[in-house]
Amino acid sequence: MNPSVSSANSNAGETRTLPVIFSGKKGEYLKLWLVNMLLSILTLGIYSAWAKVRNTQYLYGHTQVEGHRLQYLATPLQILRGRIIAVILFGLYVIVSSLHPVANLVLMLLLLIALPWLLIQGLRFTLRMTAYRNVRFSFDANYGGILLHFILLPVLGALTFGLAMPWVIQRLQKYIHDSISFGGHNFSLNSSAGYYYKAVLVCIGLSVLYFIALALLGGGVFAALAAENPAALGGLVIIAISYFMFGYVIGAVYQSMIRNHVMNNLSIDGVVSFNSSVEVKPYIWLMLSNSLLLIFTLGLAYPVTQIRKNKFLADATLVNLQPAADHLVNTVDDKYSAFGEEAAGLFDADLSLT
Amino acid sequence: MATDSSPIAGTFQLAGRAEAHPAIARINDNGSVQIIAANDQRPLHYSNAQDMQYGDIIPGLPAELIFADGARFIPTDASYRWPGLSSAKRLPAWLETHWVAVLAAIILVPGFIWLMVHKVIPSAASASVQYLPEFVATELGEQTLDLLDRFYMEPTQVSNEQQEKITADWHAILQRLELPEDQFRLYFRASNIGANAFALPDGSVILTDGIVELMQDHPEQLNAVLLHEIGHVEHKHSLKTLAQATATTMMFAMMFGDIDGAGEMIIGAGTSLLQSAFSRDMEREADAYAYTQLHKIGHSPVDFANAMRALMKSHGASDEQLQGNGNGEDNGKELLEYLSSHPDTLERIKAAEEWQPETK
Repeated sequence: MNPSVSSANSNAGETRTLPVIFSGKKGEYLKLWLVNMLLSILTLGIYSAWAKVRNTQYLYGHTQVEGHRLQYLATPLQILRGRIIAVILFGLYVIVSSLHPVANLVLMLLLLIALPWLLIQGLRFTLRMTAYRNVRFSFDANYGGILLHFILLPVLGALTFGLAMPWVIQRLQKYIHDSISFGGHNFSLNSSAGYYYKAVLVCIGLSVLYFIALALLGGGVFAALAAENPAALGGLVIIAISYFMFGYVIGAVYQSMIRNHVMNNLSIDGVVSFNSSVEVKPYIWLMLSNSLLLIFTLGLAYPVTQIRKNKFLADATLVNLQPAADHLVNTVDDKYSAFGEEAAGLFDADLSLT
Repeated sequence: MATDSSPIAGTFQLAGRAEAHPAIARINDNGSVQIIAANDQRPLHYSNAQDMQYGDIIPGLPAELIFADGARFIPTDASYRWPGLSSAKRLPAWLETHWVAVLAAIILVPGFIWLMVHKVIPSAASASVQYLPEFVATELGEQTLDLLDRFYMEPTQVSNEQQEKITADWHAILQRLELPEDQFRLYFRASNIGANAFALPDGSVILTDGIVELMQDHPEQLNAVLLHEIGHVEHKHSLKTLAQATATTMMFAMMFGDIDGAGEMIIGAGTSLLQSAFSRDMEREADAYAYTQLHKIGHSPVDFANAMRALMKSHGASDEQLQGNGNGEDNGKELLEYLSSHPDTLERIKAAEEWQPETK
């Protein structure tokens, strides 16, 4: 069933280009997700730590490269412990801040100071609990770096009325990816700010075109509306729908361009590099249909949308493994607290990588 | 114990390193496991039954064997299950692959939520507000009044003379009922919410200019309304609402907080829907308080009924509606009642008119 495993060692010596295979099934994951959600509800949230582990294990385990599955190594108790501490702190924060305005101010300041630390802890936990072939990932950003890239540079970007923003985002994503390591080897992202400007310009261009079309069409609709023509209502509905869809089009265009650029320029020297070929049109359809699925099922189709997205992105990705990848050694021990990650989640300071 | 000693094909993943080998696992009769390389039969690993554990069983994924040092054996056949696997280990995956489990849980969940929201939380909230220190109510009342003054209310336009008259009635009522006067305060405020009155947790009662004007010729109606508000204070309704709301929101956040997508929506909608159900019960309780006390000070609950009629009219009800002739078209009434925070006003009027003191 996995002939690729046996060929792995015989081919040693040259770079292997391998597909990412995602084998998760919509119905299977939907059932798993539903049962875990219901168990979480019936246990007042305690089981949610188990649910999180099982959901992630499913998605990771069904992602393979060269016959090896991605591993999620966090244990439910680890997550539960982190979650309980975070909930207690969050509760104290809410109580104290609602009773005393000055304490509220002090706490907000403390939270702001702790925020970069929480971001680091959160990503570090997630990555250290992710492994491929028993070798764990890690994340080694420092406080100053996060402060610079998440707070100071965006402020600078805002001061230039957004003109520097594409550059800021490029720096930020570069910093995050450069801080990731695998088996003691650092990733490096050789992205170019120019490409981010290009992506933003494409989106601005599309927006201009859309608003010109809207002005032409919308003018007619409003004229009909003024004349109390019943057809005008249909026109308004079409405008509203087109506006809703346009948001996804722009989002998909930007995300697909940036995703390809980032993945194509991400590598560990002598170990691994990637090829990403996310096509814009299918990606727009994916984003749009996923959001419609969520809306019409009141969010219950969330697991289905996750499977669709993971499958789509896996199909658009190739991994180039170099011989050194077969000889990596794990450098991360498994004692690690989930508190940072859980606190980051509660205080809405999550960071996602895709 | 293991009669199934046929070799299992898979991958042997070394501990803490990327090196992996195609391998075969053999289970011995004593439960120990021998791993040998697939190509040259070279022994790779040996483990006693007690020195290894099984990975989590996830639908569609192979069941891994994890050895003491962290090395793993991953069967190639994703559906292979080790004979030594306990049923506890298999249970989650069994539930996750059977729609019966999904359906059973779907039926259980609403019942569970109903029980928590209607029984457990309200009684816990009622019991716990007794233990709240006094300053919580004081602080809450002052802050709320401050907030209302800043954003929703203007200084009153009611004449001093009128204010003094109503305040005198207010003190008379408090004295008749032998309530501690220093725990109650009466405020007059102008507001665009129309004729209304409300109570804050610390015993502050606020009358809008609208209600003062509406009932200026019927002080007995205004007294009935004041008694209703005093009822809210005496029953600690604000604090109970707060305790229930906090507990309910917390419960919903705990139950649904980790569910992406639907979570936030359920928390928001569920909480506000249930909130209005709590407050209906509290209105009834405050009404009952008003009837009893009106009777006690020698007035009739009919005053309250008249006050409600006047209020309804001032908020735009037609005379026909006031007669209660709307029965034919009231199919959606129950739903509407659930959605509205006050019980159907006509019902309250009727209840006030039919009220009888309990014979002792």
